[in-house]
Amino acid sequence: MKHIIVRWQRGVPVYAVPKITPFFVFLCAMGALSIVLSAYREWAGLGPTTGMNDIYAWGIWKTFNTMVLTGLGSGGFSVGIAAWIFYRRDLHSVMRTAVLTSFVAYFSGLVALGVDVGRPWNFYQVLMPWTWNAHSPLLEVAVCMPLYACVPLFLENTPPLIERWYYTWPWFRPFIMKHLVPAIRSTYPYVIALAYALPMMHQSSLGALMLLGGSRVHVLWQSPFLPLLYVWAAGFLGYACVIGVLMVACLSWKRPMDMRILGVLARIMSWLILTWSVFRFVDILARGQIGAAFAFDRFSLLFWIETLLLVCPSVFMLWGGNRRIPSRLFQADLLIAVGGMLYRYDPTSFAFTARPGAVYFPSAIEALIAAGYVCLAIAAFVLAAKYLPILPAPVSAWHGMEHYARVVHPDWKLETHDFSHQNRPHFAN
Amino acid sequence: MELTRREALRSVVSKCVPVATAALCLPATEAAEAPSQPKAPVGMLYDTTLCIGCKACVVACAEANELPRDVSLDGLHQAPEDLNAFTKNIIKLYKPHEQSPDSFVKQQCMHCIDPACVAACPFKALWKDDGNGIVAWEPSRCIGCRYCEIACAYHVPKFEWDMINPKIVKCEFCEPRLNKGYQPACTSVCPTHAVIFGPRQDLLSQAKERIEQAPDKYFENRVYGEHEAGGTQVLYLSHVPFEDIGLPDVGPAPIPAALKWQKRIYKFLALPLLMYAMLASIMKKNWIDHRREMREEEERTGLRPQL
Repeated sequence: MKHIIVRWQRGVPVYAVPKITPFFVFLCAMGALSIVLSAYREWAGLGPTTGMNDIYAWGIWKTFNTMVLTGLGSGGFSVGIAAWIFYRRDLHSVMRTAVLTSFVAYFSGLVALGVDVGRPWNFYQVLMPWTWNAHSPLLEVAVCMPLYACVPLFLENTPPLIERWYYTWPWFRPFIMKHLVPAIRSTYPYVIALAYALPMMHQSSLGALMLLGGSRVHVLWQSPFLPLLYVWAAGFLGYACVIGVLMVACLSWKRPMDMRILGVLARIMSWLILTWSVFRFVDILARGQIGAAFAFDRFSLLFWIETLLLVCPSVFMLWGGNRRIPSRLFQADLLIAVGGMLYRYDPTSFAFTARPGAVYFPSAIEALIAAGYVCLAIAAFVLAAKYLPILPAPVSAWHGMEHYARVVHPDWKLETHDFSHQNRPHFAN
Repeated sequence: MELTRREALRSVVSKCVPVATAALCLPATEAAEAPSQPKAPVGMLYDTTLCIGCKACVVACAEANELPRDVSLDGLHQAPEDLNAFTKNIIKLYKPHEQSPDSFVKQQCMHCIDPACVAACPFKALWKDDGNGIVAWEPSRCIGCRYCEIACAYHVPKFEWDMINPKIVKCEFCEPRLNKGYQPACTSVCPTHAVIFGPRQDLLSQAKERIEQAPDKYFENRVYGEHEAGGTQVLYLSHVPFEDIGLPDVGPAPIPAALKWQKRIYKFLALPLLMYAMLASIMKKNWIDHRREMREEEERTGLRPQL
């Protein structure tokens, strides 16, 4: 078998594939259904439409769509810290994918949160700091998460858009060159720094939410370090999501895979998980609760499922050979994603005994709405990947797309564009 | 190595400011962090040995608070299983498995000295009065997030699940009645004075008197609510174990104390701002390097660099 070394160098749109596919239609149909059902929920109230009750007052819209999926969508935060703060320059090629997964995950989570709150018309107070209870972890989340999604995360996602607009909207070109590009160039470092400070705050505050749950959260999860463990888990979940999304996208659109970059991501993820697991064990030991891990009840079972799902694939991926084989990397990544999501989910759900005997199970409408907003996020990602230079590819793919465009879309008139230095959106100068 | 004055200053500032900020914010004393105590806390004292389970207080509560009739159990009124959106006050019966004594128990908001629901509420919709210490709900501020229901160890705040304009329902000590000079509805109708109303301090000494007069009548010879979760304004005397009648063992620390490190880290927003400043300074340097590399890359490949 001949090995072709692939080097991801720049974002290239997924081209020469149909934009509307049956899968995409299915995603949109699920999204439309969830919007209709959300309207019904606003009209009928939470009781008839969800499985939530006074004992389990939080359902999957908060515990899964917000707490788990924004953790999974932390790629822009965690991969970004490695790329920009620790200056791993080889990771810049996957940054566009990372910030886009974050963007769609955060927005779908925030929409689910908006459907979940019972009195959304009072949410305007988020703009009025004097009404805040500054010590509430939920206030921190309510302020910080929309701020992150709307300002730094949005700006991180603008360069691919600007690149496309430059070619598709000629009338917009002077504005791009005169105002947009210089604005991005001068504000980028400060905005990016915000994109790492804010998630550190709200991802840890998501963990702090359950500190008030006290002993109703099982001792294996309830810890004074819950905020730290949560933001740490968001860190490696972000890597798991970026690796998984890149591999699925490459496989389904038949794009070349750069196993070296994926291996770098996997190695960082492995070490994040292993240090996290050691920290978690030390914390449990220091609190004197290690006995609960060997109680062989459903909590200890859950604890070991989480631990094994995270630790085994991480150890497996410490060997470079395993990281370089796509099937092994993908399977290990999948297990880690499931394990990490389980950890983020448990303190609010499986390991949260609000009252002995009380149960919560999501209703069909609730689950459909939750799934529908996830589908919308995926649909947005798929569409963006086809229109914008998001997914990384070797330079040859870029030239390939240019050639394809000249042959298939002569109406784009690429020749008429002025490709000289001065007239292209240039973030480097 | 020679230092310019500017470099020396920068080096001093970059080391001293973080240390000074951390030293200012982190080692706060717990006494300084404790919330201000209400000036004249009012309270209730409930005695299981006196309650005859007539439920007059349940009906009086519903009437005084203009709550609709709770008909969740077919053919009966005011017979719900638990506190709910129509029931701010309830009498339950603890049925033991063996021959040990049974007991009635009254449940309503405990009006904690340091309430978890108030600490949880993001927009101060639940707030505690500085004077009488009543924990009340303000509809114009509530976003309906239901964090209060997660935070309350006593499962008191209830949500109107079936309403398009849902409210949080909980006992507020009949504040309108108090303002008119009356007692809360439940204490005013109790025929055996099993539940009485008054200043918390008076009720506490009265409860201790009862324990002194009849040693070993009450469970552990102590008052539930004196120290539980930092103290509550509703006090209980019970002849059966507190846990049996639904009063959880929450420990002496106020529940919001679990957030003390959060409070310190976010004090004046100093540490987050410091972290931002550090990230931004690293970013600024790396941004310059990155742009230089992008230009080099462009010279090599002839392709416009991407961000």
